[in-house]
Amino acid sequence: MIKILIPTPLRQYTGHKDTVEVAGATVGEALGTLTTKFPDLRRNLFNEQGALRSFVNVYLNDEDIRYLGKDSTALRPGDTLTIVPSIAGGSHAG
Amino acid sequence: MIRIEREAWRVMVDHALACFPKECCGIMIGAVDGDTRTASQAVPCANVYEGDQKDRFQLDPKDQVAAERKARQLGLNVLGFFHSHPNEDAYFSATDLKNSWPWYSNVVVSIRDGRFSGAKSFIASEDQASAAPEELHYYDSES
Repeated sequence: MIKILIPTPLRQYTGHKDTVEVAGATVGEALGTLTTKFPDLRRNLFNEQGALRSFVNVYLNDEDIRYLGKDSTALRPGDTLTIVPSIAGGSHAG
Repeated sequence: MIRIEREAWRVMVDHALACFPKECCGIMIGAVDGDTRTASQAVPCANVYEGDQKDRFQLDPKDQVAAERKARQLGLNVLGFFHSHPNEDAYFSATDLKNSWPWYSNVVVSIRDGRFSGAKSFIASEDQASAAPEELHYYDSES
């Protein structure tokens, strides 16, 4: 099984679970299973084209999946996926 | 309401002062009890914004992964984030709002001429169209 760590703002869509375990051979499969189980999560993680939203990062253990194989990154039992909000800002007005 | 414990507050202000005149950023970890959040730890992070950091910041997601793990090990939560506004007031800018997430506390620390000059906290709405001020208590305000 793959462990997916849910950040606090998204736990309202997972029945307040902070961790969800799913099966999946790839990152795409695991996230697909997650959003099938908790459909309200889908719009928070993916855009209308089905791609991961730009302000959502997904880490496989210690690596950003964007620098691995993205959705097709292979998973092994015991792997952990962490959903990480992209946070930035500043006093800049623009 | 968010209450920041003395040591966490010291870490946040020290980081803001050390980074001046650039913006600093970091992560707050603590407990949630109903509407009250208590930040017992603050993690100072590198500002990885690629550009002029005098008015912009970006957190390194790797620091967030580490903070999330640390929070879980301690039975706590990532409560939100802090950053500084060098020579600006502690407001939640359009840039802050656009790049934030709902639920989290966002503490903005104003540093003017190398000195602490106030702080405020904000929570973005679900649709990120607005941010509401959040009652903020930190050690200096309670002493």
